[in-house]
Parts: sequence; structure tokens; C-alpha cells
Amino acid sequence: MPEFMRFCERRIFDWIAGIIALAVLLFIGSAVFVIAAGGLPGFWNNLKSEEVRFAFRMSLMTATLSTVIVMILALPTAYALTRTGMPMKGAFSLLIELVLSVPYILLGLSLLVIFSSPMGKQLKEWGFPVVFSPAGIVMAHLLVNLPYAVRLLKTAFEASDRRQEFIAQTLGASPFQCFLTILIPSCRNSLISTFILSWSRGMGEFGATLMLVGVTRMKTETLPGSIYLSISTGNNEAAMSTAMLMLLISGFAMILVRAAEQSGRRRIREVREDRWK
Amino acid sequence: MEIEIREFTVKRGEFLLRPVSLTVRQGEIFALLGRTGSGKTVLLEAIAGMFPGDEGEILYDGVNVMKIPPRRRKVGIVYQNDGLFPHMKVEENIGYGLKMHGYSKEERERTTERLMELLSISHIRNQYPGTLSGGEKQRTALARALALKPELLLLDEPFSALDPATKQMLYKEIMEIHRSFGCTIIFVTHDFKEAELLSSEVGILLDGELLEVTDGKRLMKEKHCRKIEDFLGDRG
Repeated sequence: MPEFMRFCERRIFDWIAGIIALAVLLFIGSAVFVIAAGGLPGFWNNLKSEEVRFAFRMSLMTATLSTVIVMILALPTAYALTRTGMPMKGAFSLLIELVLSVPYILLGLSLLVIFSSPMGKQLKEWGFPVVFSPAGIVMAHLLVNLPYAVRLLKTAFEASDRRQEFIAQTLGASPFQCFLTILIPSCRNSLISTFILSWSRGMGEFGATLMLVGVTRMKTETLPGSIYLSISTGNNEAAMSTAMLMLLISGFAMILVRAAEQSGRRRIREVREDRWK
Repeated sequence: MEIEIREFTVKRGEFLLRPVSLTVRQGEIFALLGRTGSGKTVLLEAIAGMFPGDEGEILYDGVNVMKIPPRRRKVGIVYQNDGLFPHMKVEENIGYGLKMHGYSKEERERTTERLMELLSISHIRNQYPGTLSGGEKQRTALARALALKPELLLLDEPFSALDPATKQMLYKEIMEIHRSFGCTIIFVTHDFKEAELLSSEVGILLDGELLEVTDGKRLMKEKHCRKIEDFLGDRG
């Protein structure tokens, strides 16, 4: 076979993969480009509007609060699923995977049914309304993000070296001390990434929130809700500007995740370089 | 501490450790010798309390420890890959057990200082494990295990990843530790010369079965069963 033909035979898969990758990048990139192109012109004016500022504050507050609660609940849950003799672990893990694959609007619907029940009404009487209220946004975020965080943390805990925890036990550490002094530090980067990714998802959550609390201007309006309302009223420029803001927030979150991952690698590299000084 | 193992068996996945019975006398250095995958580390970890086993029992000074958690067993363990906590400096690694037992800062510093001097690692006290050589890591792991003055020291192939010169240095240090601390030592190895050099008794474990317990100094001089002879190979 001539040399050229052999060369083509070796490279053909690389070329096909490269062409498909380019098409994928153009497709994804076009979405980002459209948002940037449509959102930039009126971006600063839109930021000054009272509705967008309210939506930003609401998204920030509910996403942050729900993420803190998610981490408080997900950490011991992931620990129980990976480190204890808890019964029916397999069934729990399956349940988590199932919830992850359910559309978020269905999760919102299930919460609506729960909190519209007599129990939900009683909660409202006790001063804790959920349906059509900001607390409902936090609840929606919780249901959407908790299985996600549990799965990420479970993966991190499963990958960590159990022998170190065993050694810690032989040195006198209780299970809680092992958790605090060995497991958590060894999974630090994963914990930080889980927090940031959960927070980012909370900022962008819409389906479950829409179903449970609706979207009311200046009451239960989050950033995604603000986009929805702007589109519904034909204000595309405002919608694109708010979308641009969300794109910047997502980009910022990605940068933080990368920074967290790289700081761990950088620390190892720096101390290794120190050794050779 | 005297260790007695009675008909102890354990199944880990596809691997089965067949009933093991042996006694390690107080203050003895005992080697568990065998090929990779023969169950030596499984038995060592079972002695330390990592898992309960399926049948049989393990006794420390005549007391059944099967229900006693590792943190109450007065055992120190050192693994082949050292198992140092990567997020703690050398000094913090060594002082970890003392901290868990509620020792004061001054006591921790005193004990840590003494151990670092004993094992010649004072100069690396502020370094993280990722920057250490193999020998430094093993010394740090030894110091950490010794900080609480364990009555039983378990070593899982502690020398296998080291160069010959570092090995010789660590052999001397282990003997010195044995003299100073008076603890019982059980160490795992696949190197029969190492077993002969360091131990008073050797248990030979092959394919999950303890085939023989023999005098460490006579290991290479005596005749053994066919399986052991195949393992020991040509001794010239």
C-alpha cells in the first residue's frame, strides 16, 4: 500500500473525531455566543432594574442557604452509605440515582402535593409557608441538589484510602475523629467542588421552583424566573441581559471549581519543588 | 504482649484464609513469610482489628479481642506504602495518636522530639509526606506507630520498597526499637533472608494456609515440605 494511503489509514479516525469535536464546539459555542451577543448591549441598564436586582438577591440567598443545608445533610449521608453497616445501602443508592434521573418539574410537583397537604397547611399556620414563598425555593433546591451532592461525595469517599482511617483508629481516633481529621481533609477538593457545583445548580434551578412557588415579580422571582417572565412579556432584551448575568455567574463558579482543583495539585508541586532546593 | 490465634479464618472476596492457629510469645519478633497474595496482610490486618473474620478468635494476653475496636488494642501498624496522612507534616503525623489520646501540647512535643531523634528525622519535621524519600516515610510511619508505646507492632512489608542500603539501616533501627520498647513485633515479608535475619520465629503462609512455624535462624538450614521448598528455591 502506498505510504500516503497508510498515513491516511492511521489518521482517519483522528480526523473524523476532530471534525465531530469541532461541530460540537460550534454548536455549544453558538449558544454562548447568542447569549453574549444578545445580552451585552443592554446589560448594564438591565442590571440597574429593581426586578433584576431583586431576582439576583433572591437567587443568591436561596442558593447559598440551600447549598449549606445540602452539605450539612449530604456529608453524613455519604459517610453512612460508604463507611457504615447501614442496612439497604443498595436500595438507598438506587433511590438517589432514580431521583437524579427524574425531571425537576416532577420533583417540584411532588413537593407541591406534599406541602399542599394538611401537613403543609399546618406548617403555614406555624409561620413556615412553603408553597408560593421563598422558603419553597430553598426546599426545591434541596430536593434537586441533595441527591447530586450525595452522589459526588459518595464517589469521593469511596475513592479515599481507607487504610489511613484504619491507621487513625489504631492511633486512638474515634469514627467521628477519623471523619473530621482524616476523611474530610483527604477529600477537601471534592468537598469544595461539590459545594460550588451545588450552589451553581441552585442559582440556575427553575423547573422544580416554578412548580412549587411559581414566579411572582418581586416575591418569588429568581434569575431564571426573571428570564421566564421577561420572555413571557416579550422583553427579549431584558431576558438576554439576565441570561448574560447567569452565564457570568456560571463561568465564575467554574473558575472557582478549577481553582480548587488546581490549588491541591499546586501545593503538592510546590512542596516537591521545595525538596529539591 | 502475647498473641494467640485460634483456628482463625476469613474470606475476603474470592480469597480464603484457612484456619490459622499460632502463638507469638511476648517480646518476640515474628515474621509472616509467603508469596504475594498468600494472605499475610489479611492476617496482619485481622490481628489489628480491621475486620472480625469468619471463624476463630484472636487473643491478646489471653483476652479475646474480637469485639474490641482497634483504638483500644494498643497496637501500632506500619504499611508498605507508609500510610502517612498527606495533609499533615511529619511532626503532626507523629503526634496524631498523642493528640487523639488527649496528651498536652508539651507532652506531645516532648515525645515527638524524642522519637524524631531516635529515628533521625528531626530535620524533616516540617515537611509533608509527599516530599519525603522512601526511607524517611517509613521512619516517620514507625515513629507515629511508636508514639503511644504499643505493646504490639505490626509491620506490613515495611522494607520492600527500599533500596538495599536503606533496608540495612532500617533493619538495625527495628532491632534497636525492639530493644528499647520491648514490644512484640509481627512483620510481613516475602523476603526469606529478611525473615531469617530479623525474626526469632517464622510462620510460612502460602495460598491462604499456614504451613509451618519454624525457628527463624534455622529457616534456610532445615528441610521443609515440598511447597515450602519450592517457595524458598535454590539455597545453594
